[in-house]
Formats: sequence, structure tokens, C-alpha cells
Amino acid sequence: MFRKVLIANRGEIAVRIIRTLREMGIASVAVYSDADRLSRHVRMADEAEHIGPSPSAESYLVIEKVVEAARKHGADAIHPGYGFLSENAEFAAACEDAGLVFIGPSAESIRRMGSKTAARQTAIAAGAPVVPGTSHGVDLEEARSFGAENGYPILLKAVAGGGGKGMRRVDREADLASSLRDAASEAARAFRNPDIYVERLIENGRHIEIQVLGDRHGNMVYLGERECSLQRRHQKVMEECPSPLIARHPEMRQAMGEAAMRAARAAGYYNAGTVEFLVDRDRRFYFLEMNTRLQVEHPITELATGLDLVRLQVEIADGAHLPFTQEQIALRGWAMECRIYAEDPYNHFLPYPGRLTRLTRPLGPGVRIDGCVYEGWVVPMEYDPLLAKLAVWAENRENATARMIRALREYDVGGIHTNIGFFRQILEDEEFRRGNLHTGFIDQFLERSDAPRAPGDFPAVAALIAALHTMRHNGNGAAKSAPAASAWKETGRNEMLR
Amino acid sequence: MKLNLHGVNGEQSIEIAGDAPVYRFRLGGAPERTANVETPEPNVYSVLLDGRMYDARVEETAAGGLVIVIDGYRFEMEVRDPRRWSRKDAARGADGLETVAAPMPGKIVRVLVAPGDEVEAGQGLLVVEAMKMQNEMKASRAGRILSVTVKAGATVAAGEVLATIG
Repeated sequence: MFRKVLIANRGEIAVRIIRTLREMGIASVAVYSDADRLSRHVRMADEAEHIGPSPSAESYLVIEKVVEAARKHGADAIHPGYGFLSENAEFAAACEDAGLVFIGPSAESIRRMGSKTAARQTAIAAGAPVVPGTSHGVDLEEARSFGAENGYPILLKAVAGGGGKGMRRVDREADLASSLRDAASEAARAFRNPDIYVERLIENGRHIEIQVLGDRHGNMVYLGERECSLQRRHQKVMEECPSPLIARHPEMRQAMGEAAMRAARAAGYYNAGTVEFLVDRDRRFYFLEMNTRLQVEHPITELATGLDLVRLQVEIADGAHLPFTQEQIALRGWAMECRIYAEDPYNHFLPYPGRLTRLTRPLGPGVRIDGCVYEGWVVPMEYDPLLAKLAVWAENRENATARMIRALREYDVGGIHTNIGFFRQILEDEEFRRGNLHTGFIDQFLERSDAPRAPGDFPAVAALIAALHTMRHNGNGAAKSAPAASAWKETGRNEMLR
Repeated sequence: MKLNLHGVNGEQSIEIAGDAPVYRFRLGGAPERTANVETPEPNVYSVLLDGRMYDARVEETAAGGLVIVIDGYRFEMEVRDPRRWSRKDAARGADGLETVAAPMPGKIVRVLVAPGDEVEAGQGLLVVEAMKMQNEMKASRAGRILSVTVKAGATVAAGEVLATIG
């Protein structure tokens, strides 16, 4: 088994991986940019290496720097996490060339599945249904003719994409040029690849994905599904395992699981991976893409299966056989995850970087947090504003929902805006409770509901505390008319009152 | 003492009397009420009002306002002493100008307008990027661009004025 593993990532996923490595008795090496010296993953690791300036293009995305850090620290293997270099075939190849084990699939599998257009071709060859779209990146003319042929709305997607970056919905041809330009520019920044392809948009579909896991000896299983239909800006914010739809139609699980494994096998896949499907209103499913890495929302699969996916990834990378067969895998109870972001849900989900002045985390039965934040930490503006993933497990969906609301009520983050209150609103929603989820759910929810209105005496208590706090912190009463001891203090006080 | 509170529900006055932990207060024209208020942690108030418990947390904003958070609900307020002159009051007034300010710290990716341009409500003015997300800042009303104070590539702070519409 490996003695030391470098984590080519940052934030909560680096923390998540360090935890399992520590349980396995494997030393961890963190890498960090200028902005991250004080990030949790760096403070927590056994060893750390600085790899450059804050922009990820000059640090976390530079293959040579990451590989050199691994060599310098004598690591045996590299875990890429998600995002950054995790789906970069060159990186996987560079690790193997340097004698480092890449904890993930082969470079060849990533090549076949990492680009969305290549993945579509692999899936089509494996007989999996796909959404109508172009087989390659397009220019404005090609996008225009696709729209004219297939009708609007259409969806622009980054060929190298993931996490909703470089994705735009286009409702009419007039918006195509500016959307394509914005998508390409966002894709270029996020993936160093501006190529955009086009798909027909399936309105109000459900996003359901299958977790697969294979060893290097040809064995493969699927570990159930995750429902990821709740999205904003094309990015998942809340996930469930199992899917409410599949819970009602359990025969879909096997059909989708087997389609996912066919696509993965066609790419010679091993280690953990996720095959994403779009499910339309008639419960037909279409292959969307394969994520050739650990998924952000993997904790809910861990809660429902009782497995540690990171441990399995490490063992498989070390050559182990899968320790179970398909028949031995069962989903138990219900798991749910909320992605806690530094953003303002009532102002177009704009990111909200800044200093965390307070932090109280939920505890108690059935609660799991994968996070990287602490009181006093400054959320950097350079990276994705994910602060933590709050996951709960309970016997059934109703109890999991109640538990999530309870946990969110205990969660207090001060100094910045978060989407914690927004999740509570969604969890109370009747449509959500009925399990009627689809990718347009959040947009529709925002249209039909207002910002939460505080109940009963909350506004009165807030007014009392605002006044009391002001009295106590402005020389025991802003009204005091005694001359100020110092002009500086007076000016400062005026500034405070502005 | 009497203070004026300015929040989402508009202007409201509050009168407070008493000593820790018992305070009597009167909101606007409402009857007087009594609350028990303790401070278990800095900037955290534990309030007992009519037998119900409230945990209220206070944040001071850079602009000098207060944010009170109770059980996840946020109340943004400014507290003003009616007997005191406030510069903000004087500055508040319709001068017909609309300033476009950065909603968050970030980087200017593109500037889509120049001084002198006539813009329509909803027209894109600038593209700001933060945390890998690009956001187009749109004109809130029609008018003429009087100034653009940033260039593409510039890093801006939250609240920084980027352009003005006259």
C-alpha cells in the first residue's frame, strides 16, 4: 500500500481525502497557492508544498508544478479530487510517466470520456441513448444551423466542461452570439479550452446519475443513483440518494445502472466514475456525460451504501480487487446533501466572498459535514465559493427532509451571505416534498415564492437588538450630547453611523 | 432613549428603557413590552420575549449598518439617532444619477459601453467575474453613460462604483 499520497486539489475535497488517508495510515501532502496558505486542507495535511500564485491557471492547473511537488515529497500516488486537473488525460499520463500512481482511471479512459463530445461518441458506440446534439465544438454558424434545424431552446456546453461552467441556455437566435461568446470565454478560463458544442434542451428533465466503480481486473459494479435535479446556474446544489423517481420506479435503477456500466466498459474504465443521465417526463433516459473522477456529491452514496469511496479508490489504484459483487450492494434509508455556498440566493446567486466572522455547525444524529472553513477564514474570490457540504441520513425521505431542516437551523455562518436559508425554504416546499424535481425547479420556485418572511415577533426582536447593540457600542448611547473627547473618535463614530 | 431604525420595512422608531438584563421597549405606536436580554458571547444576544427564546447575532457592515440574524432570518438595518445630523441623510436625495456598483469583489472581464453611449433598461454594461462566474451588470434604467471608471482586467472591491448613468 502507498505510504504517502499528494492531493492535487484544495478546499473541502482535499480535506475529505486527507481524512480517509489518515484512517488508512497514509501520509498526506497538500499543495497550495498564495491564496490558500491558511486554508483548512493545508493546515490539516502532514506535509505541504507551495505551487504558485492564486489564479489556478498558475498553480492548481500546472501539471509540472504538481508532479514536481509529489516527487520532492516522495509521494507514491496522486489523488486529483474533482475539478482542476482531475479530468485531464495529460495529467494522468504525466503522473504515470513520473512513476506516480494516478488515483483514478487511465489516461486513455479520460481521453475517451473526459471531453463531452468524445464521451457522446463512446456512449453511442456502446448503445446508450444520447440527447440530440453536435458531435464536436461549433462556431456561430454551426450553432445557428443546429438551432434552426432542431428549434429553440438549445443548450451550449463546454466540450471540456463540468460544474456548469461554460454552459448557457439559449432561447432565441438573437441571443446566440453573445451567449456563445460568454460560454467560450468562461470555458477558456475554467478548462483552458474554449470549445463549445450544442445540444437540444430537454425542458424540465431530471438529472439522475449512476455511480460506477471498477477495479483494474475487469470487475465493475454500480452503486445506485443520485438525483441531482436541483440546480442553479446549471450547477447542482442539492442531491438525494436514492432518487425519488427511481424509488417509485425501482426497475429503472437496473436499466440505468447497466447502461452506465456499458458506457464505462466501452472506455476501458476503472476506479470511481459517474455516468450522468437526463430523464424526460416519460421516464426515458439519455446519456449526458461521464465524470471520470470522484463526484462532489459522493457523500450521499457513502451514507446510503455504508462505503468509503475514497478508500475504495485508493485500494483499487493499489491493485486491489473489488471487495463485493453487485448482489451484495444495497441502498439503505435516505441520504440528502445541501451544498453550502458563499452566495446570495436572493440576488441572482451572486458569489459572496469575505471573512467568516462566526461559525456554528450542526451536530447530532445522522449529520455529516464535509467542509473546509473555520471562523476568521477569508473566503477567497479566486475559487468556487463552496464552503461545505451538509449531508444527512435518515430511514426515509420524509425523515431525511426533517433532519436536514433541523441541521440547517443549527447552521450559523456570519459575515457573508450563504444559501442556508434558501435550502430551508425549498425543503418546506410542497412540490419538493412530493418529489416532483426537475432541472428547472429552482427557477420556477423563485418565481412562485418570495424571500422568506420572518415569523411572529422576529422583526420586533431584531429591532430591539439593533437598537440595544447601537446603544452599547456607541459610548452607551449615540444620543449622548457630551462633547467628544477626541475629534478622531467623533469622526470615527460618525463614520460608524453612516 | 429613542432611535430611528431604517430597514426593509421602512422607517420605524423605537424607545428603550431599563437595565441589563431587563428592558422595556416600544416600537412605533405599539404598546410597551418587556424583554430579558443576555449576552452569552460577543455580538450574540439571547432574548426572552413573552416566554419565547430568540438567539440574535449581530454583524456590523462595512457601510456602517447592522445585520441581525435570528434563526437564519436576516434583518439589515441602519440605526439613526433623530437628534443627530447624519451625513447620509443629507447625501440622500434625487440627483437623477444612477451609479452602477460592483456587487462583489471581482475582476472586470469586459466593458461593453463607453461614456456618451445611450443605453436602454436591461442593456449589458460590464461583465464582472468572481469565483469563476461571469456576471453581466445591466442598466437598471435607460439613460446616457456619464462615466465608466474601470477598464477590462481591473480588480474591483464590493461596492466600488463602475459606471454612472445620467
